[in-house]
Amino acid sequence: MNRNSLRARVTAFYVAMLAMALIFFSIAVYIGVRAYLTKSLERSLNTTAHSIEADYLAPLEVKGPAWFQAEMSESYPPGISDPFVRIFEAGKVLYDSGDMRDPPVRISDLPHPTTAEGLNDFHRTHSSTGQPLMVYTVAYTSPNGRLILVETGASMEPLQHLLHSLFLILLIATPGILFIAAVGGYMLMARPLRPVVALTEQAEHVGRKQMGERLPIIPSGDELERLSLALNRMIDRLEEALAHNQRFSADASHELRTPLTIIRGELEALLQMPALPAQAMDGISSALEEGDRMSRIVHSLMTISRLDAGGERMEMVPVELASIVRVTLEHMSLLAEEKSIALSCQTDERIYVTGDVMRLKQIVVNLVDNAIKYTPTCGAIAVQLFAERQRAVLIVSDTGIGIPAEALPAVFERFYRTDQARSRVSGGTGLGLAIVKAICGSHDGTLSIESVEGKSTTLRVELPLLQLSQREISDLHSIVVNPQTDRMPSREQVCEKPAEDLIHRKV
Amino acid sequence: MRILLIEDEQKVSTLVKRGLTAERYAVDVTPDGFEGLEFAEVYPYDLIILDLMLPRVTGSDVLQRIRRKNVFVPVLILTARDSIDDKVKLFELGADDYLTKPFAFAELLMRVKALLRRGPVNRSSTLRVDDLELDRLTQQVKRGGKRVELTAKEYALLEYLMQNAERVLSRNMIIEHVWDQSFDGITNIVDVYVRHLRAKVDEGNTFKMIRTVRGTGYMIRGGSEA
Repeated sequence: MNRNSLRARVTAFYVAMLAMALIFFSIAVYIGVRAYLTKSLERSLNTTAHSIEADYLAPLEVKGPAWFQAEMSESYPPGISDPFVRIFEAGKVLYDSGDMRDPPVRISDLPHPTTAEGLNDFHRTHSSTGQPLMVYTVAYTSPNGRLILVETGASMEPLQHLLHSLFLILLIATPGILFIAAVGGYMLMARPLRPVVALTEQAEHVGRKQMGERLPIIPSGDELERLSLALNRMIDRLEEALAHNQRFSADASHELRTPLTIIRGELEALLQMPALPAQAMDGISSALEEGDRMSRIVHSLMTISRLDAGGERMEMVPVELASIVRVTLEHMSLLAEEKSIALSCQTDERIYVTGDVMRLKQIVVNLVDNAIKYTPTCGAIAVQLFAERQRAVLIVSDTGIGIPAEALPAVFERFYRTDQARSRVSGGTGLGLAIVKAICGSHDGTLSIESVEGKSTTLRVELPLLQLSQREISDLHSIVVNPQTDRMPSREQVCEKPAEDLIHRKV
Repeated sequence: MRILLIEDEQKVSTLVKRGLTAERYAVDVTPDGFEGLEFAEVYPYDLIILDLMLPRVTGSDVLQRIRRKNVFVPVLILTARDSIDDKVKLFELGADDYLTKPFAFAELLMRVKALLRRGPVNRSSTLRVDDLELDRLTQQVKRGGKRVELTAKEYALLEYLMQNAERVLSRNMIIEHVWDQSFDGITNIVDVYVRHLRAKVDEGNTFKMIRTVRGTGYMIRGGSEA
């Protein structure tokens, strides 16, 4: 369960509210019940005492002690009477209902009440065996002036039992109700949120391959329907903007390439002129070289826009990365040798990803080319390939000039360079890393960089690892052996293929 | 040999026509796709060079209509776009070759010649330029009878140069042929390999066969006529 999901948060909110209400309710119930029980016990003691006064003590002097004893024994039989009753006159016991049997409470041990104690008052005490008791004492003065003390009392144990049970019930019931409310609420919340989940899933798909799809409209007539409509309108506008961007890329490409063609053609024609002064030849050649670079920049820019816009059609197939990395490095080894750079390569076998072979190669080419460019002679470049947490990781590290920390975030931007003069010498387009970044993006991968200025730079590419069955692996390897699959339709493919095959086999 | 050039950009067509005429081809030019179609129906051209972005009607439409009428005439497409989509579609529509703008004239000429020849290039097992000899079966290279040891890439590069001896090959052509498009961004890879190849082939010989044509590329040529 995602703790930040709307569903969880709403459920948590409701459960918290319910908990507060339940706790408040429980406390109120407990206090109320306790007050009510205590009050009714007091009332019963009070009633008993006063009815004894009225019914038995008032006629006592007329009817005599024998009658009194008989009546009392009948109304409040010893051992059975609840509440217990004791009647005293000047320290002498007139009547005593004795120890209680159910529950057993020893009354005989209780001190006799005296007039000094508060009369007409309830007080709590304990029996000698520790039971809690509530006792009520009232004084009666007969017409003859005799002072008689009437004491009624009861055990508070049943009351406390009841309260304890109530407490237990509330203690168990509250969390129980809360738990049921939480689970039920969480499940209930799934229903109104289901369209949102569907919207989210569909939204993930839109734009991955093409914009064509739209989000499902939720025909609920409520906020969700409005949301889905609004999102779709937003996608419409995005699609329009993207289409515009792609059209612009194509147009710009055309508009830039045509003049470049003409410039190039005119310069070439000039170069053909007989008896051209050396200076003119030099100038024209230099212009041609720059024209060449400009076409490369245009080409790279278009590639990046298309990759970013998802407009580049790529052939996404299962690919074994290690062999691609090794073969590409082999092709570039001479570039490293030129600068006496040690190029080392450490690849784990069986690392598969889904991707376009051409573009994956280009990642390696651009990263290693970049490393060679920015590593002084006698430096070292290490290439590593391994799998880590469901990702295929490609690391290219060098002992080059490094990049200042403040410049790191800008490195992947188009035309970014740490050192303008340097790259001019090495003739780059300033787009190498931007292309790698765009390719990584189009492959659901990431590109990151670490650098210590003047010491080293490490570029790290991560791509989603592809899990293949044994059978798929053997199928894949039977394809990879055929060199044709890693070439696009080549211009000379018809007549040159056999020679090409020879070379591939040799490599 | 008669070539039809359908290209709306007047300066480009002038350049191409001038270059091809200098190579003794007869070239007709039209800036309009419909007119181009009429031309193609009336005259038996040996080759049609077709720009993809035309006003009124698109190059792919023109290509489709040409193919409906004439299955055999080779068509070379000029395009300012280079997405793979376009390339695949063009071959499906029946284009024989394509060239992305901007291009070196040498490259256009080479493709034109290749299409007009209409047959395999030099497929003989031995390529020879002057005293430099390359045996395709044994992959052995000799200069003046002396063995020259080459790596696989150097061999591929030399074979490509020798196959097109006396012709300038642009860096792009070399990259796409000997390497592949993923190496596009780093043109100096060609320069480095050519330097190494030169050291092995030309060193110790007074005549240097591998020539740099500044601003364009490289070529290999014999010394006998130079």
